Parts: sequence; C-alpha cells; structure tokens
Amino acid sequence: MKTIQVYDPPMCCSTGICGTDIDPDLVNFAAMLSQLGTHDIKVERFNLGQQPMAFVQNPAVKALLDKEGAEVLPLIFWDGEVHLKGRYPTKDERPGWFRAALGKEEEAS
Amino acid sequence: MKLPFYQPDAATSTRFLFFTGKGGVGKTSLSCATALKLVEAGKRVLLVSTDPASNLDEVLETKLTNQPTPIAGAPGLDAMNINPVEAAAAYRERLIGPMRGLLPEAALRSMEEQLSGSCTVEIAAFDEFSGLIGNPDAAKDYDHVIFDTAPTGHTLRLMSLAKAWDQFLDKNTSGTSCLGPLAGLEKQRVIYEATVNTLADASATTLVLVSRPQGAALREAERTSKELRAIGVGNQCLVVNGTFETDCPEDVTAQAMQQRGLSALTAASEFISSMPSFIVPLRPINILGIGGLRVLLSGDGQGKCVKADESGWTPPEMESLEDLVATIEQQGNGVIMTMGKGGVGKTTVAAAIAVMLARRGHSVHLSTTDPAAHVAQTLHGKVEGLTLSKIDPAAETAAYQGEVMLAQGAAMDDAGRALLEEDLRSPCTEEIAVFRAFAREVGRGTGRFVVLDTAPTGHTLLLLDASEAYQRELERQARSTQPEEVLKLLERLRDPDFTRILLVTLPEATPVHEAAALQEDLLRARIEPFAWVINQSLLNSGSCDPLLQCREASEHRYLREVVEKQAKRTAWLPWQAEEPVGPDALAHLASSSLLQARGDVIQTL
Repeated sequence: MKTIQVYDPPMCCSTGICGTDIDPDLVNFAAMLSQLGTHDIKVERFNLGQQPMAFVQNPAVKALLDKEGAEVLPLIFWDGEVHLKGRYPTKDERPGWFRAALGKEEEAS
Repeated sequence: MKLPFYQPDAATSTRFLFFTGKGGVGKTSLSCATALKLVEAGKRVLLVSTDPASNLDEVLETKLTNQPTPIAGAPGLDAMNINPVEAAAAYRERLIGPMRGLLPEAALRSMEEQLSGSCTVEIAAFDEFSGLIGNPDAAKDYDHVIFDTAPTGHTLRLMSLAKAWDQFLDKNTSGTSCLGPLAGLEKQRVIYEATVNTLADASATTLVLVSRPQGAALREAERTSKELRAIGVGNQCLVVNGTFETDCPEDVTAQAMQQRGLSALTAASEFISSMPSFIVPLRPINILGIGGLRVLLSGDGQGKCVKADESGWTPPEMESLEDLVATIEQQGNGVIMTMGKGGVGKTTVAAAIAVMLARRGHSVHLSTTDPAAHVAQTLHGKVEGLTLSKIDPAAETAAYQGEVMLAQGAAMDDAGRALLEEDLRSPCTEEIAVFRAFAREVGRGTGRFVVLDTAPTGHTLLLLDASEAYQRELERQARSTQPEEVLKLLERLRDPDFTRILLVTLPEATPVHEAAALQEDLLRARIEPFAWVINQSLLNSGSCDPLLQCREASEHRYLREVVEKQAKRTAWLPWQAEEPVGPDALAHLASSSLLQARGDVIQTL
C-alpha cells in the first residue's frame, strides 16, 4: 500500500480558506488527496498549527525544519521519501500523481 | 402602562441568566445588582462578562481576570471576564508551549501568526463561554452563573456559534473540512451540543433583555428577542431600566424626558406585553461599587445625591459638532469614524456629521460596521449627495463566497471546487468577509467622505486586531491577490489626514473610561483619535427636578476629565427632548452649542 504524508504549514483548514489568500493549487491538492484516500492509498496530513507533535516526531521533517526554516513547508512524502518541498503540486503535475498512485489516469470524482 | 418593579428572586431564578441588549442600557449594572441580590439570599454566584471591552472591573471596583475572583463586600460572589484576545493567547500557548525547544524558533513563530487570526480569537472566546455552560463540571460550585454580555451584535454571534459549528460539523461530508482553530478543540463537540441544549432549556436558562425607555433600544430588544428565539433561546423577560417620572410640572427638560420615555414605551407596548416585563427607575447617581449596586434595585430610596458646590464652576471650553465638521471638510475626502461604548450615540453623531457634510455640498457615504445598527432609522429621509449602506454579515459572507468561487474556482477541477465550496461554509468565513467589507468601506473614502459608524468598542477592537494580524500575514507573502483596499487598510487608518476618529461618550464614569481605554489601544496601534464628542449632556438644562440636577452636577468631573486629560479637541452635544431622527433634527443637533443650550429646550416644547 502506497503512503502519502503531507506536512502543511500552519493553516486553518485543508484548503487554507481562512488565510489572506486562497491558493488554487492547495485546494485542488486537498481535493485530490481526499479522492486518493478513497482508493488503496494511505493519506496522512499534518498541519503545523494543529498537530505540531507530528513534525517533531518525524526526524526527516524535524531536520529539514531546523536546517531550512518554516519555508520548507509544505513537505510531501511518498512512501517515506521527500517528494515535494515548499509547494503543492501544480495543475500539470496532478495527472502524474494520479497515474503514479493508481497506476492509471483518473481524475473525476 | 404600569409595570412591576424588577426584583430578582432566588427561589425562582434559573441557573443561567443572560443579560443582553443594546449598548448603554445598563446590562452590567443590572447583572451585577442581580448577582448581589442572589448572593444576599444565600446563593453562590459566578458573574461572567463576555464583552471584549468589559466594564465589570469598574462597576465591581475589582481587578478581574479570566479566572473567577472573589468580590470584596459580597461573600459568595465571584466574577471573571472572558477576554477573547486573552482566551486566544491561552489557546495558542496550549498548542505552542509544549513545542518550545522541540521546534525551531521560525516554526514556532509561524504557528503563532496563524493562530492570531480573528477566527482563532472568536473560537477561543466561544470555547470558554460554552465550557461554562456545556461542561457540567466547570461551574459546579455555583448556584447561578450570570452572563453580562457584549452589546447585541457580538452576543448574537457568540450564542449562535454553538449552533453554527454544530450544523457545519453535521453537514460536513468530506471529513477534511475547515474546522479552523476549532480543530484543536474538536473533542469539545459534546460540550457545544450541551451548550445549544442548555440555552434552549427554559428551566435552566433565562434571557433578560435589557432596554431603556427609548425607541431604538426597545426595537433592538425586540429584534434580539426574535433572533434568539429562532435559535431556541425561548425563556425571556424584559427589564426597562432608567424609567423617569418628575414631580416638577414647570420643568421643561424633566417633562420632556418623562414624555419621551412614555411615548417609547407606548410605541413598544405590544412587544412589552408579549413577555414578563419589569422596570427599574432612573437613579441620580452612577451605579458604581457594591453600595451603588444596592441602590439600583432598592425599592424605595433613590440613593442620596451629594451635590457638588456649584459656585465658581465654569464649564471647560468645548466646540460644537459643526466646528469639527468645518475642519474635517477642508480635506475634501476621507473617512470619519465614530467609536465608543454602546449607547453613547455613535450612530446619531455619525448621521449628523454625514448630513452636515452633504448639506455643505460634499459627496458623502454613511455606513456602519455594527450588525445591530439603526442608521437608516436615524437618518429617516433622503439627503442630496448622501448614500447609505450597512455591512450585513450574512450578505457579505454570501458575496465573498460567490466572489471566491468565481475568481478561484475557475482554476480548479470539479473536486477542488466542491471542496472549496464546502470549506467556505465554515463559520470562519464570516470573519474574513466582514473584515474585507470594512476595508472596502474605508477604501471608498479616497474619492469622497465616508462616515463609518462602528460597532461598540469590543467588536471594533477585534476588527482592528484583525487588521494588524492580516497586515503581518500579508507582509510575509510575496504573491498576493488581495484587493488594494485590504493592502492599504492599516496605512489609511493610521493617516490622521485621511481617517478622523471621533470618540463619542456620555458625561459619565464608565463611557468616559471605556473611551479612554480605547484611545490607548488605538494609540498603541499607531492610530490617533481626532476629537472627542460628549453627547447627551444636561449642562445648562436649567432643570428644577432634583434627580436631573444631581445628574447634571455629576457630569462636571467627567467633562473636565475629557477636556483636560483625554482629548485634543472636544465637541459638546446637549441632551435632546426628542430622539434626534431625520436630517433636520440631526443638522440642528450638530449646530447646538453650550451657550444656546438652555434656550433650545424651551423652544422645543
């Protein structure tokens, strides 16, 4: 079973709507994760504002935070390996994620 | 209409009592006096203020915190303030504290910034509030818990939040929804449900609607009554505080005041007879301290008036509102904001300034950030060059949701749009929408005059607090799609040539001290008030009624305090025999000066 772990910067919600700006990549990414979660993929998401302990307990996350500061977030892991750093996947990258995760093209909910 | 005297009864009182109503109607005095009565009947009582600009400290003459503090002279009575900003700080500390030393400083700082938003502030206060009601263990040492609430708009929001979050959680389907700062508190959900149930339980909760014998206050009580009934708070009663009768037939001021009260009560007779209603007579003194509180609900004695020696007292120099307007109009555009405690007449002063500017040929927009304001009623009629609007939280939220979906939804796939739509239904969205509307109204002042009537102090402080939090967040972001008016908001509020803040007060202890505290808060935020306005002064009224004479004499020290200690400029407005409604009455009010005050009262009758 594939695992995706996301370590978000501090934010109010998975879509970040409480902030001053709404990032469409973040919203689409959140939607994609909830779709992937319904398949055979383990999705874990942690928010620094709400689950800071998860950041401390993951040595890789903690080391990156210590070294590069809060700008390193979001950190996205595939099966325990850092896959993306400091940003969410873009519109062009998302189909690739679906392929990699599900082994096929699927985007409709 | 003969109403019974208000006498709280320990035998029949419910466990929870909420005192609510328009600003300045006497919620704090009445809730304190009620607490005192119950304590004197042998009960243990916890008195809680939910007003971000609480005046409990001053009335109880005790320094309070967000923990119960015993009140000297009233054994069995404890009191506390739920201060939203402090509640949010405590909530932040609960999350961040354990991380110190474990996470780098930069990560801690970014947590702190995220948890400083207005939604966190609101949720944290709400969490403390519902903890006292919905958690069976929290206030178990007390027979009664009495809430002295903030002026209406803020309280409606607080009481309806329990239901709003409850419904949002129920309807949420994706499980990744926007709980905002509630996420850290989600385990409390059972407490929020209990809060909703307790508020609706007539054997547990009484809502005491407090009013003055005054049209606007009674109309607001009626609106609040309906809105709270709609969310289930059904056990209600009404207390009309400050009723006045004179034995002085030849005294025009006293006769006018009595008449004004009677007409207001008659106009509201249907509402008044719809529920148990009571009166508390006007007292000659400011209700301060345990002694003062006993006077408020004493059946007979009106409290002794110790009159100051009048000889040799001359009123300090004060301008008319027209004098202030003459200075303001030289700029040609900008924002004028009226601020202060509830019930001091911010709406009246704002409307009077707007009318005066419009009649002098300027383009003027009059708006309000107070969810419970009555701007249109005060203006009552069209004025050439003057437009009117109101920040309606529900309408602003809907518009904001639509705007976000249109602007951002385009770049999203269907699943993203669905998720965004769902998260936008979070109660937190309202905070953002109202804040943006505030920024928009301020921004309109670049091309004309905008007169903004703000909500009572507490609510306004939270709005300014949000402005600063947003500014900090914006400064960290490279990319911003925010409109120019949001980006420039704080800069505009801080520009003394663009934004003119008028602190409105009555010549009484609590409104003056609340305005002084507000002034300090503003100065800390680098916003400097332009002038103070003293409203409803009885100075030079020439009354022969002993109670009014006494009230007039007690104004002196507060007039002096404002002019000599607090204000750079002070305008003075007389008490009006009729509620100043309509363009002519407002313009007349604005041109009143201290010298002609006495002649005016005689003319009006």
